Amino acid sequence: MPERVARRTWPVHAVLVVGALVMVAPLVWEFLTSVKSFGESVRVPPTILPGTWDWSNYTKVFHSIPFGEQLLNTVLMTAGRTAGQLLLCSMAAYAFARLAFPGRDVIFMLFLSVLMVPSQLFLIPQYQIMQELGWLNSLQALIVPGVFSAFGTFLLRQFFLSLPKDLEEAAGLDGANPLRIYWHIMLPLARPGLVALGILTVLWSWNDLMWPLVVNNDPEQMTLSAGLATLKGEHFTDYPVLMAGSLLATLPVIVVFIVMQRRVLEGIAFTGSKG
Amino acid sequence: MSNRWWKVLAAATVVVSAAACGGGGSGSDGGPVTLTYAIWDKDQQPAMEKIAQEYTKAHPNVTVKVQLTANKEYWTKLQTAVTGGSAPDVFWMNGPRIGLYAAQGVLQPLDEQISAAGADTAAYPKSLVDLYTFEGKKYGLPKDYDTIGLWYNKTLFDAAGVKHPDATWTWDDLKAAAAKLTDPAKGQYGIAAPADSQANYYNTIFQAGGTVISDDGKKSGFGDPATIEGLKFWVDLIKAGSSPTVQQMSDTEPTQLFSSGKVAMYYGGSWEANGFAKNADLTGKVDVAPLPKGKKQAVVIHGLANVAYAKSKNPEEAADFAVFASGKQAQRIQAEAGAVISAYQGTQDTWVKAHPQFNLQAFIDQVPNSVPLPRSKNTSAWTKHAEDLLLKAWTGEKDVADAAKELAKAVDEELGKEK
Amino acid sequence: MTTLEEVPVAAPQRAVAGRPARKRLRRREWLWGFAFIAPNGLGLLAFYIWPVFQTLYYSFTEWGAFGGHTWIGAENYVKLVSDPEVSGALKNTLLYAALVLLGVPISLVLAALINTPGLRGAAVYRVLYFLPVVTMPAAVGMVWRWLYNGDIGLINHVLSLVGIEGHHWVADPRFALYATAVVGIWMTVGYNMVIFAAGLKGIPKDLYEAAELDGAGPVRQFFSITLPMLSPTAFFVTVLTSIGALQVFDVIYLMLGSNSAALRNPAIDENQTIVFLFFERAFVDNDKGYAAAIAFVLLLVILLLTIVQFRAQKRWVHYA
Repeated sequence: MPERVARRTWPVHAVLVVGALVMVAPLVWEFLTSVKSFGESVRVPPTILPGTWDWSNYTKVFHSIPFGEQLLNTVLMTAGRTAGQLLLCSMAAYAFARLAFPGRDVIFMLFLSVLMVPSQLFLIPQYQIMQELGWLNSLQALIVPGVFSAFGTFLLRQFFLSLPKDLEEAAGLDGANPLRIYWHIMLPLARPGLVALGILTVLWSWNDLMWPLVVNNDPEQMTLSAGLATLKGEHFTDYPVLMAGSLLATLPVIVVFIVMQRRVLEGIAFTGSKG
Repeated sequence: MSNRWWKVLAAATVVVSAAACGGGGSGSDGGPVTLTYAIWDKDQQPAMEKIAQEYTKAHPNVTVKVQLTANKEYWTKLQTAVTGGSAPDVFWMNGPRIGLYAAQGVLQPLDEQISAAGADTAAYPKSLVDLYTFEGKKYGLPKDYDTIGLWYNKTLFDAAGVKHPDATWTWDDLKAAAAKLTDPAKGQYGIAAPADSQANYYNTIFQAGGTVISDDGKKSGFGDPATIEGLKFWVDLIKAGSSPTVQQMSDTEPTQLFSSGKVAMYYGGSWEANGFAKNADLTGKVDVAPLPKGKKQAVVIHGLANVAYAKSKNPEEAADFAVFASGKQAQRIQAEAGAVISAYQGTQDTWVKAHPQFNLQAFIDQVPNSVPLPRSKNTSAWTKHAEDLLLKAWTGEKDVADAAKELAKAVDEELGKEK
Repeated sequence: MTTLEEVPVAAPQRAVAGRPARKRLRRREWLWGFAFIAPNGLGLLAFYIWPVFQTLYYSFTEWGAFGGHTWIGAENYVKLVSDPEVSGALKNTLLYAALVLLGVPISLVLAALINTPGLRGAAVYRVLYFLPVVTMPAAVGMVWRWLYNGDIGLINHVLSLVGIEGHHWVADPRFALYATAVVGIWMTVGYNMVIFAAGLKGIPKDLYEAAELDGAGPVRQFFSITLPMLSPTAFFVTVLTSIGALQVFDVIYLMLGSNSAALRNPAIDENQTIVFLFFERAFVDNDKGYAAAIAFVLLLVILLLTIVQFRAQKRWVHYA
């Protein structure tokens, strides 16, 4: 009954299209402003399409902040945090889900309690630790505290718990030690869980603002997110340049998202079902 | 991109070679030394880099890396860096903060290096040298100075048939012109009147005969009727509709409004000259005049200094460079770049000539009437109250006189805490 | 797969092994367990768990301009209770969170619409609605500040086309918090929608078929089947969204912050949130002792609200 379906879905489309416009319009306006001259950007009433397409704002971004370095820092921070979390969290999660050892439940509760605490309670001492290690303005300051995660452990533990035990039991009886079971059996089985955690960690790391803003003040050691906040320069707010910078900083994640949309959306849905 | 990778490689080489040296050396053995020099003004970066290169020419073992931080973050970050013991070796210092930094032992006294370099302190404006002298020791030599001028858009003046401002202008002339230049239909205003201390209300306070902090540094003058007069000057302009509201100026900054021809007049420092000269939207449209006179003529003067970090890994080189960066040769380089008025005697003309399209002499001519920027040992403790309370007067939430009196009380309390 | 055949043989073998051997095996498992949790556990201990106690200690201290702190007892907390800035920020934070929660029903409706059987282009809608989620909040803040600009912003221009006079949304104390909450909703709606959509897929189809036979229309079906079946998901989304909203910082920092003291946003004093205040005190004013005390207020608020939500869930969440 395709006709009936079409008749029923057009009001749905109408609502969804309006909603989609609201979602996308700010991003489109961001792009349009980024290719206007300063003079045109402040004109009243505003022009929708730029009179002349002025791409120079994108080169101005590179002159205003060390964009290349900041991009590299952001990529390295994101990669470091994500790799670290996937490894450390899956290890701990496996132990909590499958191994018996004294104090396991108490330690797990301790992990969980970290989830309840807002990050501002860690911030000042974390900063002090970086300072004492002499790590302010360094890549490791951006990465290290972010590789440990209570949330990731919790998420993966739930995932491990939902896996059937037959394979590991068989391997265990075969004399394989927990390390081999973890690496050869559990990790491959846990791929969907790892992907979900990976996606969330990438998003969180790439967009993180407060921590990078606090620990790295040398522009060349900043991440894009903190760099953008400082691009909002002291005297002159040149909106086309700001929009160009914002777009450039966001683009990598948007591209990755569009390419991997199925995986990302499944991963997000997964975290919802496991919470 | 390739250039960047090259830099990364170079940095790695430096790290490796530094490690190979075994560290520990203070650098005075003639080994390679890298100093960081923190600044906040992007317009001045090229000149500062040139000064750094000049220094390396004379001291081939020393490389100076200029580090730019936006003004908004500069002090926060410097403070955290000092707390962490990792501040830049040499950095810009301003009047409001010198008391705190010197008193806390963050800075090296430079007297030795000043005499070793044979620098003549008499070549700098005395008020500025004194500004950076703390308990008899000089912690920095003046780098530059700035005064405030009345920047105006000639095109808008001509279109409205208003005579350009000159040295004879009074407050009344300004108010009348601002009203005439305002055209709500075009979204055009006569003047921008943000609650800015140094560029705006300090000047009018002094012009009205008021004070901000008493000479002995113990009492606030904010409650003084003349001071209130100086504050009202600005609030009245907003009330008359001659200036955008505080909300408008928060959405769109006054410099931006001025650059886009939405505002005809703008009280701005001499530091604006370079940015305005480079701004293509303003070419041929802008000039500057001395500040209009109130009861008397007055303008705020302030200047920066180059200071050296006490805990620098290379303290001697740091101190030496700090003195060099304020010295005659460096000041000439700075003057020629035209970014700021060099503090060193005889270098001002180069600055004035750097942008012949502007009447920059107006800034120099005002110096005899200048008053130093108000400060105390812990200036930021009381300016915070001024920012809070005066903003409420500017938005109209509070009456100016009430806000000023409340402020006077708060400032007195903060001054009482200083020892 | 030869191992499978060996299982029955191997198992009894182990069972007859002596007690000491079993004990040894158990010990080995203990060691493995500790080894597996040690890296993450020690990291959490150093960077997360211990810092909470450190922050607690700091909340009883006063900080000097360049480091060093002295014990001042409960002074920070005494000051905090009567500090109008803290109570104001607290009120703003709660209001902001309440406003952002309005996005939860919106995302539920969107999820239901996107799940309409036979809807073409559902995948495209999903991607478009999710875009704001992956956009960097720092960039989002900047873009929306520009959109909200009172004189040259797009929003006021569009409003003027339909004859409405706009305001300086992010500079006007009356509107700034609402303006940022709109952005908060815009940023979270897609995320919650995806989670709701997954929950919808989990509802057995026969329930709807039975309802249809009973003559229930789509609206009644939504309220009598979808909503109750989805309530655990809704609970999860609500808790997560409110915890996130209570810690809002990025958009406030970028939309309501200012570039210099002279150009302070006149709306900031009356619209700042608790985390923004924390950041200002800790890292701008270097008043880290007081900031630590403020952080504990936030912890208290989050704990209280979470407890309330868990209590209240009994009334409306149906676990199948």
